[in-house]
Amino acid sequence: MSPQESLSENDFQRLFAMEAEGRLDTLVDELLELEKGGATPEVVASLFREAHTIKGGAAVVGMPHVARVAHALEDLLEEVRRERRGVDTALIDAVLAGVDAIRTLIPLAVAGQEHEKVAFDAEQRLRIAVGGPPVVDDKAAAGPDVTAPAAAPGATPSVRASAAPDVTVPAPSAAAPPPVAPAAPPPAPAREHHAGDGSVEAHGAADGAAGHAEPARATATEMLQIPVHRIDELVRLIGEASAATLRLGSALLERLERDPSGLTEYRDLVRSLNELQELALHARMIPVMSLAPRLRRAVRDLARETGKEVRFETRGDDAEIDRGVLERLADPLLHLVRNAVDHGVESADERRQKGKPAEGTIRLHAMQLGSEVVIAVSDDGRGIDVARVRETAGRTDRSAIEMDDEAALYLIFRSGLTTTTKVTGVSGRGVGLDAVRASLNAVRGRIEVRSDPGMGTEFRIAVPITMATLRCLVIKAGGQAFAIPLHSVRAVLPSQPSATVGGRAMTMLDGRPVPISSLSAVLGTGNGAVGPAVVLAGLTRSHAFTVDDLVDQRDVVVKGLGELVPRLPAVAGAGVQPDGSILLVLEAAGLIERARRMDNGDRSQEAAGGGGHEEPVPHRAASILVVDDALTVRELQRSIFENAGYRVRVAVNGEEALAEISHERPDLVLTDVQMPRMDGFELTEAIRKQPSLASLPVIILTSRGSDEDRRRGLECGADGYIVKSGFDQSALLSAVERLLGADR
Amino acid sequence: MAGASTPRVVLGQLALLIPVGSDTYAVSLETVREVVVDPRVTKLPTSPAVVRGVFNLRGDIVPLLDTGLLLGLRPVMEEPYAVLVETPHGTAGLVATDMPLTVRLNESVGHSDIEGTTETYLVADARLAVALDIPVLLSPGRISQ
Repeated sequence: MSPQESLSENDFQRLFAMEAEGRLDTLVDELLELEKGGATPEVVASLFREAHTIKGGAAVVGMPHVARVAHALEDLLEEVRRERRGVDTALIDAVLAGVDAIRTLIPLAVAGQEHEKVAFDAEQRLRIAVGGPPVVDDKAAAGPDVTAPAAAPGATPSVRASAAPDVTVPAPSAAAPPPVAPAAPPPAPAREHHAGDGSVEAHGAADGAAGHAEPARATATEMLQIPVHRIDELVRLIGEASAATLRLGSALLERLERDPSGLTEYRDLVRSLNELQELALHARMIPVMSLAPRLRRAVRDLARETGKEVRFETRGDDAEIDRGVLERLADPLLHLVRNAVDHGVESADERRQKGKPAEGTIRLHAMQLGSEVVIAVSDDGRGIDVARVRETAGRTDRSAIEMDDEAALYLIFRSGLTTTTKVTGVSGRGVGLDAVRASLNAVRGRIEVRSDPGMGTEFRIAVPITMATLRCLVIKAGGQAFAIPLHSVRAVLPSQPSATVGGRAMTMLDGRPVPISSLSAVLGTGNGAVGPAVVLAGLTRSHAFTVDDLVDQRDVVVKGLGELVPRLPAVAGAGVQPDGSILLVLEAAGLIERARRMDNGDRSQEAAGGGGHEEPVPHRAASILVVDDALTVRELQRSIFENAGYRVRVAVNGEEALAEISHERPDLVLTDVQMPRMDGFELTEAIRKQPSLASLPVIILTSRGSDEDRRRGLECGADGYIVKSGFDQSALLSAVERLLGADR
Repeated sequence: MAGASTPRVVLGQLALLIPVGSDTYAVSLETVREVVVDPRVTKLPTSPAVVRGVFNLRGDIVPLLDTGLLLGLRPVMEEPYAVLVETPHGTAGLVATDMPLTVRLNESVGHSDIEGTTETYLVADARLAVALDIPVLLSPGRISQ
């Protein structure tokens, strides 16, 4: 198989541990040089940079306590760098103690052991050395993050084994870092306590239903059982309060002609409500792996039934998802793991003959990527016999015979297709994968499959973390406003000339023809539109739609239309706007299908019948050059972008980046600031000096959020300046998408 | 016909009269949640014609249905009133083209053979009102036809 070797958070932590080891050695060497009297600006700058890099790395791999200590170390060295503090024995001692503390902390963090107290003490000593006030011990040992009330470290979401629809919510401090994170490392006690846990589960581990999801150290006093409906009600009320606030704002503006955004009280109210909403939404989240016991049980039972030896591994304990979404995933995942046992993994004898371990492995891997959770079910079995799939499908559909391997592989999602000659109790009936796909459509998810003959198969499911809010582009078509989920918008084109090719209107995007239709005509609410075109990406193809106008972008709280309204493939739901109107949210895949049918007329009857396969759009993946001297950060970014479908190259400093760029121009450069030889600002300036690279988008990603740095970043010509304190993947991905979208 | 759990129109019971064009329909008052005047309707493209659109009822999204088309009759031309009725599948609005009034029903004057209706009653001004069978009329299957 080709399960893309995605690294788990724990892998990243280990990688970081190795990297930090080297950096700490350098730090000590340089420190000793400093002590010998070599306090040159270069040495001090290098010391500072090492501490800074360790801080950034620790924050992104989910070691907030390590990051805090490194941050304190960085602050202390910053004082020296700015010549506000001299070098004396006390300073050297303090830095060495800080280095020792980090050395002690990292292995503890990797192993998921308690280390907060050690970190706290070390940080305090460093703060004292700076001469600044020590960190206030709030007795709850919640650390400096006091944005959330009643912080209780170690609280980890868990799910009760009972069938009652309750969730156990973590104490608020375990909530995801707010999008507008302070410069301090993100509070992530939950992630950390899970760090060393469960990346591999031993074969035959206890199948106790609650066993897996139980948090390691949450005690009864830190957890509270709350009925789900109460949380739902809370979320709803907060939503209404937010809407009322917006209405209040527009009333202020209209009646009193006061811009409410100028009122501190109003801004505070809006901010508090946003934070409240974030927390409340997070309360509905539960770990993806709370499904693991059920799946493990299914694997074990089926393995026994079919006489196979199968071990079940899970990874990604900290990936969380809205409870409602997860419920809808249970059946599809159950189906996929059963399929893996039944179809994928070979018998022990067969495996031995092939030189494989007798025991097959099925792995469930969950990870959060931006606003989505990706769940992969992979096996190391025989893989999918694509020739056979093609042949089977070809009996009823001649076009299948012509398909290349990748396209043919997706035929397995067709209704009624099975290549299994014997029908067993579990699979081979040809119902299933099409149902899996349909269930995923219902939660706006998608599924991909990869298979290597003889090596295995991997199914990847990507679903939005929550169905509750959706970032949307609002447009007007046929005089009516509609919202389009931003994740399905590939590009927005100015009013486009279109040509007719083979009876179908086409426009160009990225040098490739894309079919274009009028949105209002497709929706049946009007005829043509001469405004801009919005290019939407469906599951497998893109289509451009002309609209009257673009309105804005907003977060829409998406609701269903209720049971009484029949399912409309082009409409995903609707949101109530602050002014009380209803904004319909469109569904890209359904719209594209509708547009195609209108284009094709009768020709597409076949597609309409079978929910048929569509060949993937072979659009070129954009390439990103990641420039960072920290190995961990580089690899983490590589993983994020590769998983999002980009091609990624890396460079360790500005000089190397320039060489890479001259070798092959990337579509976007993402650079750190603090790097040896040539830093991020210098790199950006160098890029901007070259006329051929003037339009190359550059994003500066840094853990320093000072106004001065930000100004310098933008002055030297960067298109974006992102502070990576919280390392918000979705913000990063959307910034990249925005810049690439504008560029392409 | 109707599920036993949902009240039907019976003699002496309070009912709401729903004028639809030149016809009048009656629903048991127990089924009615409220009447909304001049609902602000958002059209729902690609939906069957019987769904006139959706509107916002204090934060809930409620479909507004064409009472005429639901009964297989002429579509309504406008939607000045929405009678909100509770169904086993959620709340829905039925279009009334004139102000709905509450009456106490007299004895049935005969059976109605329009699907989704039950009995016919004589109401004020010598008008006939046909009682609607809400669970039958407002089933998801019927609406999607």
